[in-house]
Amino acid sequence: MKTITIDPITRLEGHGKISIFLDNKGDVENAVLQIPELRGFERFAQGRRAEDMPQITSRICGVCPVAHHFAATKALDAAFNVDPPSAAKKLRELMYMGYFIYDHTLHFYYLGGPDFVVGPDAPPAKRNVIGVIEKAGVEVGKKVIKHRAYGQKITAILGGKATHPVCGLPGGVSKGLNKDEVNDIKKMVDSCIEFAKFSLKLFDDIVLKNKNYVDIILSDPYTLKTYNMGLVDKNNKVNFYDGKIRVTDQKGNEYTKFDVKDYYKKIAEHVEQWTYIKFPYLKAVGWKGFKDGKESGIYRVGPLGRLNAAEGMATPLADKEYKRFYETLGGKAVNTTLAFHWARLIELLYATERAKELINDPEITSQKIRNPVGEPGEGMGVTEAARGTLIHHYKLTKNGLIDKANLIVATTNNAGAINMSIRDAAKGVIKKGKVDNATLNMVEMAFRAYDPCFACATHTLPGGMPLEVKIYDYNKKLYKTLTQNI
Amino acid sequence: MKTIILGVGNQILGDDGVGVHISNELKKYIKNPNVTIDEAVTGGMNLLDLILGYDKAIILDAVKSEKDKHGIVQRIPINDFKAMHSCNPHDVSLIEAIEIAKKMGENRIPKEIIIIGVMMKHISLEFNDKLSKKIAAAIPIAVKMTLDEIKNDMKISS
Repeated sequence: MKTITIDPITRLEGHGKISIFLDNKGDVENAVLQIPELRGFERFAQGRRAEDMPQITSRICGVCPVAHHFAATKALDAAFNVDPPSAAKKLRELMYMGYFIYDHTLHFYYLGGPDFVVGPDAPPAKRNVIGVIEKAGVEVGKKVIKHRAYGQKITAILGGKATHPVCGLPGGVSKGLNKDEVNDIKKMVDSCIEFAKFSLKLFDDIVLKNKNYVDIILSDPYTLKTYNMGLVDKNNKVNFYDGKIRVTDQKGNEYTKFDVKDYYKKIAEHVEQWTYIKFPYLKAVGWKGFKDGKESGIYRVGPLGRLNAAEGMATPLADKEYKRFYETLGGKAVNTTLAFHWARLIELLYATERAKELINDPEITSQKIRNPVGEPGEGMGVTEAARGTLIHHYKLTKNGLIDKANLIVATTNNAGAINMSIRDAAKGVIKKGKVDNATLNMVEMAFRAYDPCFACATHTLPGGMPLEVKIYDYNKKLYKTLTQNI
Repeated sequence: MKTIILGVGNQILGDDGVGVHISNELKKYIKNPNVTIDEAVTGGMNLLDLILGYDKAIILDAVKSEKDKHGIVQRIPINDFKAMHSCNPHDVSLIEAIEIAKKMGENRIPKEIIIIGVMMKHISLEFNDKLSKKIAAAIPIAVKMTLDEIKNDMKISS
């Protein structure tokens, strides 16, 4: 058996490694993704003050500090048995929209988008944001930088610092908004709405009007029929900050809907020997291996998972786009992995529209932003991180210290599906042992669509995004190595 | 000359947080109004945002290196890096971020960017808020190197 190893994956730190196993004809037999998992969080958390968790967990991941901050804060609301005042909830949600604006913008233009805007088979040196700017124009580049910074700024105004929010407290937030801040945010949000509309138009022009790309998007290697999961409001519309966890089946029908406090009754985790990552699945359906379909409990989260798990968007423009998405891609559920990119832009539009609703809400300047906490107990909190459902669960001692902590992060929820997407893409593009950089990028695209995040709080210099491909013959003897940036 | 000293790292990931330990230590010695000391658990675009508008940036960070001795401290001009890891998979590297910003006509990029790096062969992926002995021993050396850097700048400008 030949083995091809991609190590690590370009544009993804944390030393991810894809191994592709070939049969004796040189076709793909299997592929697995191995990623280092940060370890020992439960032990690290034990004995610490519960109210420090929103700050500590915002450092777990350089990617989603805001998501961890509020999943932790909401778990503490529950653990201290307190319901925050409605103004505090709105302030938290507004800050959350700022996070989605900068995060989704970054992914589309810098990380996932280049594959389409510049082209999946473009040389790696061009297949990046610089290539995007060269193709779409400097003015587009300026827009991207400006609106990503607006998202950051909105988050920073509400959270203290964009990268280490300090505002979430059990029972509310530490800081409200004054009139000047409201006016600043209003201007930024209006501009962000236009930017989101522009981004969807760009996607239309560059991707959807290119038959070649649409064929790739709809092709079998990028199709995966799993369950889908996401938070929804009382009308089953997508919600990032709060609501119930809804799971739909491969045809878009509701399979189950539950409160986060019941997550452990609904979700179980499967362990494989070759990785630290645990693979969550729907307990009642069961683990059937890396398979899709109704009989397999694997589900997807993130932009596509959320859209599939809901019945629409709660704001008018985004809802219109939502309908167009399903009309164009053949109804519910959309099971093509590369549709994550389009779904992400629809969510960007929703985040901007929702931010506008919140900043225009008269209650947003209220100073009643915290309620007194009750006795410490046990609590779970859920938010939608940009890349999917995120759950924090804490059990406190009677003195308010952490006794037990458990987290299920977004990329872990997607781990089973990501593995399958990589395998299927590899099967689709690698034939008779022929591998080059363009082929490998087609494999990576399956993976990048999820916007995954692994062991991401480490950030040592210098790196260089190396890519190593090792091909072994079926006796596992190395006969060829391809490298990039090493 | 306006300078920013930025301790970069994650204090809950053991040695990865050394940059922040160094910047905390420096706060005891530097009381110059033209020198700002800050910290960040971030990279790429966010890191660039933090250093815009300064004449010079000194970044204190862990540097992963196979060939250098574990725990030694080196002064590295940013141009010596071919590429820099960003702190996370969801961002571009600082060098890419600078390149993009230049293309967009950004004129607030510091003229000089220096890394004071603590070289490491490996970094644990286990949550821990303490430094290992070897890496903790690098702090006074990195502190002295940074103070010398600031002193030299002052001599040149005066």
